[in-house]
Amino acid sequence: MTEQFSRRDFLKLAGLGAATTAILTGCGPASRYVKREPYQQMPEYNSVGQSTYYATTCRECAAGCGLVVRTYQGRAIKTEGNANHPLNLGKTCARGQATLQGLYNPDRVQGPSTGDWDSAIQSVADALKNYKPSEVAFLMGMAPDHLFDLVSDLASATGMNAPVRYGALGMFEARATLSKAAENLFGQAGLPWFDIGKAQVVFSFGANFLETWLSPLPYTRGFVGLREGETKLRATFVQFEARMSATGAKADHWVPVRPGTEGLVALAIGNLASELRGGAMPRVFSSVNPAEVAEAAGVELEALHHLAEMFVNSNVLAIPGGAALGQSNGLEIAEAVLALNALSDNFGKPGGVYLSALAPNQTEYSRPASAEEMIAFVEKMKSGAIKALFVHGVNPVFELPASLGFKEALGKVEEVISFATFPDETAAEAKYLLPDHHGLESWGYQRVATGVSLPVLSGAQPVVAPFYDTRATADVLITAAQLAGGKFAEALPYKDEVEFLQTKLSALMGEANGSFSAPDAATFMAYFQQYGGWFKNAEALVAPDGSGVLNGNVRATEPEFAGEGEFFFVPFVSPTLAEAGANKPWLQELPDSTTTVMWNTWVEINPETAHELGLHNDDRVKVISEAGEVEAYVYLYPAIRPDTIAMPFGQGHTAYGRYAENRGVNPADLFGVHFNGAGDLAFAGMKVKIEKVSSAVSGVGLSRMESRIGVYGEALGEEH
Amino acid sequence: MIKKFFDWLKQPLGLIAVGIVFLAVFSAAAYGLYTTQQAPEQPVPGFPHKTHVAFGIQCLYCHPGASKGPAAGIPSQAKCWACHNQIVKTQDSALLAPLKDAVLSGRSLEWVPVAIVPDFVQFNHRAHIAAGKNCEDCHGDVSQMGIYENPQVMNMGWCLNCHIESAGDDQEKLIKLADCGTCHY
Repeated sequence: MTEQFSRRDFLKLAGLGAATTAILTGCGPASRYVKREPYQQMPEYNSVGQSTYYATTCRECAAGCGLVVRTYQGRAIKTEGNANHPLNLGKTCARGQATLQGLYNPDRVQGPSTGDWDSAIQSVADALKNYKPSEVAFLMGMAPDHLFDLVSDLASATGMNAPVRYGALGMFEARATLSKAAENLFGQAGLPWFDIGKAQVVFSFGANFLETWLSPLPYTRGFVGLREGETKLRATFVQFEARMSATGAKADHWVPVRPGTEGLVALAIGNLASELRGGAMPRVFSSVNPAEVAEAAGVELEALHHLAEMFVNSNVLAIPGGAALGQSNGLEIAEAVLALNALSDNFGKPGGVYLSALAPNQTEYSRPASAEEMIAFVEKMKSGAIKALFVHGVNPVFELPASLGFKEALGKVEEVISFATFPDETAAEAKYLLPDHHGLESWGYQRVATGVSLPVLSGAQPVVAPFYDTRATADVLITAAQLAGGKFAEALPYKDEVEFLQTKLSALMGEANGSFSAPDAATFMAYFQQYGGWFKNAEALVAPDGSGVLNGNVRATEPEFAGEGEFFFVPFVSPTLAEAGANKPWLQELPDSTTTVMWNTWVEINPETAHELGLHNDDRVKVISEAGEVEAYVYLYPAIRPDTIAMPFGQGHTAYGRYAENRGVNPADLFGVHFNGAGDLAFAGMKVKIEKVSSAVSGVGLSRMESRIGVYGEALGEEH
Repeated sequence: MIKKFFDWLKQPLGLIAVGIVFLAVFSAAAYGLYTTQQAPEQPVPGFPHKTHVAFGIQCLYCHPGASKGPAAGIPSQAKCWACHNQIVKTQDSALLAPLKDAVLSGRSLEWVPVAIVPDFVQFNHRAHIAAGKNCEDCHGDVSQMGIYENPQVMNMGWCLNCHIESAGDDQEKLIKLADCGTCHY
C-alpha cells in the first residue's frame, strides 16, 4: 500500500464495488438466468421433474459392484450401491462415489485422434489385416469382461495372440501368488476367499482387506460381522505387518514382524500351537525353531506363545496378503499362512478358507498376468514380434514398474492403438487414440471374481448418452473386423455391442435357479438391465481339499532383498487413488485414513529413526533403490518398524489430466525386476537408502486435514 | 492521489457527482428488478399460447408434468412436431422457422422459464392440481396470451394468502398449509 492509496481507501472502493455488484445482480432468483432445453424426444419412462434411476456396474476397479445411478434430465447426478446386488448389497466405496468425476472430468478425450471415426476404424481394420495374426496383440485391464470375451473370440478365431490382462491392483494383491499357493496346497488353483465375518480369531499377515484388496466391500462387510456378529462373540483380530496399515489400525494386536518373515512366524505359531495341543508335531510345522524365528522376525518369543494359545480354544483364520506376498519368498509366505488354517481345520467351513465361486459364464479360474508374464510380453514387444498393439482399460506405462521397460518397448511397436477414456501416460505414447466411452456411458458385463458365495454376472448399461465423440471399443472392433473381412468378419458376426451382449447372455436363459428367467432374449436382456446383472441362487464357493496340508511340506525360506540400502521398503496401495483415481479431485481431497495427507506423496519414517537421521516432518528426502530414486516429503509415523520405511502408490502421474499430473511421485519407479516363486513382482523385496535433500520450509509441505499447505501451490507446477 | 479524490468528493461538486452515481446505480437496480418481472425473450418470438388454446389443446397435453410432479415441464420437440409436421404453414412460416430449424437440426430450443420461484422454495404442481386448483388460478388467462407472462408477482405473500384462504375455518388444515416447512424444507 502506498501513501496515496491506503488500505482503508482500498477497502472502501472494494466495498462500493461489491455493493454495486450485489444490487445489480441480486434482484432475481438464480434460475431466472437458466435456460431450459427440453428433450428432442422424451423417453417414455421419463417424467419431467422426476429422477430416473439406472442399474449398472462400477468400472472404477474390477470387483464388479452394482450401482444404481440417479439421473435427471439426461445427466448422472449421484451413484449409490445397488441394494439387490449380491456382492455389495447397496454399498459403494469412495471410488464408486467418485466415478461421476470421471464422467464429468474436464480432461476426458473428446474424440478420436484421427479426426473422424471412419478413418479411425479404417486404421484398426488395417492393423488387423496388414499384420500376421501372431503380430497383433491386445493388452487389456481387469475390467470389463465382455470386451475381454469379444477380443478372446476374435483372437481364437483368427489366430491372433490371446489378450493379456494386467492391472496394478492385481500386482499389489499378488493374485498369481494366491492362486499358485492354493494350487500347491490344495491341488486346485483359484482365488482364495476368507470368510472373516464368521471367524472367531483372524490372523492377517499383511492383508489390507479393509483398504483395497481383491474386493474391499465384502471384506469390509465381513469385518462388521467379525466385530459384531449376531450369533457369536466379538472376534479377535491380529495383524502382522511391518508398517501399520489402515486395516492394521483396526486390529486388537499389531505385531510388527520384520518384512519377509511372515511365513516363518506363521509356521512358528503353528509349531507352538501344536505343542500346546499335544500329540505328534505336524510335519508342516516341524521344520522351524520358534526361538530362532522370534529372533529373526524381531518379536518376543513370549508374544508368539501368547498368539499360539489362541488356537487352543478358538478357530483361527489366517490370511496372507499385502506386502507379505510381494517379498522374494512371497509364495512360501502364502503357503505357510494358508497352512496355518489346517490347525483349525477350517477349509471350506464357515469362518474359514474357500476358493471363490466361478461366475456364471466362466468355466475355469483365470487371473491377470503376473509381472513375470508381463516381462515376457514386453520382451516380445522389444524383439519386434508384436507389430500392432491395442491397449484398453489399463495404463501400463504408469502401472508397470518403470524398470520393466514398457515405455521403451512401446517405441518398438509399429502401431500402438489406445482406447483410453482419459489422456493417460500410455495414450500419450500411442499412434492412435480412439477413446472409449466412460463406464457410465457403456454397455457390458463383469464377472464377479470374489467376495460373494453365488455366481454373479454384473451387468452394465449406459446411464447417460455419451457426452463426447467417443465410441464403444467393442463397436469399433466389430465394425473394423467386418471392414477387414474374411475370418475377422466371421469371428464377430454382430451388428453392434448390444447384439454381442445379447448373444452371450442368451446362454444363461435356460439355467436353473437364476435370479430371474425370461421367455425370450429381449425380455432377458431387459431384466438384465433392470436388475443390474444376473446371478444364480446356488452356493458356489469351492471347499478346498486341505487334507494333505498338515503332513505337507512348506519351505520356510529367508527373504532376499535387492539393493544396498539399510531400510526395508513397504509400498502400499492408496485405497482411494490406486492406479486410476488420481484424476478425481474428490479422491485427491479425501485424507489418507492413517496420515490424513491429501494431494501428495509421503515417506513414512519411524520418529526414532528420523531423530537419528536428523529428519523432521516435511523435510524432503530422496529414497534410493537399485532401480531408481524418488523424492518426497517425510511423514513421521510412529506405527512403523524403525528399520522400515513406507510409501503409498497412487500419485506421480506425468499425464492423466490436470488433477493428477505432476503431483507426488510413483514408488513403482523404485521397483527392480525381481519375482517371487509365483512370478508376481517382489515389490517389497528390496532395501533402500534415504538421503536428506532439504529441510522443511515454513508454509511448504504436506497438506493434511488441519493444514492445506501445498494443495494448490503444487498444482501450479511449483517445485519446492 | 486517492486521498485527494476522496477530499474532492466532500466538495459540493463532488457531492453532486456522488448523487448522480447513486441515482445511476439505483435506477439500474430498479430496472434490473423491473426486468425480472417482464416476460423474457423466448426462442420462438411471439409464441402464441392463445392460438394453441383456441384449437382446444388442454394445458396438460403440452405440460403433463403438472399433474404428476413438481415441474410442469416444457414439451419435447417431438411433441411439437407431431402436430406441426401436419400443418402446411410450418414449412414456410418465418415465425415457425425456429421450431423447424431446431427439429430438423436436432438442436434444442432454449426456453426461458417465466413462472419460477426461488431455489429455496420447494414448489410442487401435483399437490395443487390434486387440491382442485386450475391452471388459470395461478397462471392467469393463458387463452388470451402470446408469450406467457405472470399475471401477478409470485412472491410468498401471494402464496400464503391463497393457502390461508383455502384453509377457511379448518384449523388443522391451516396449520398444515401455513407451516414454514410446507414449502421451505
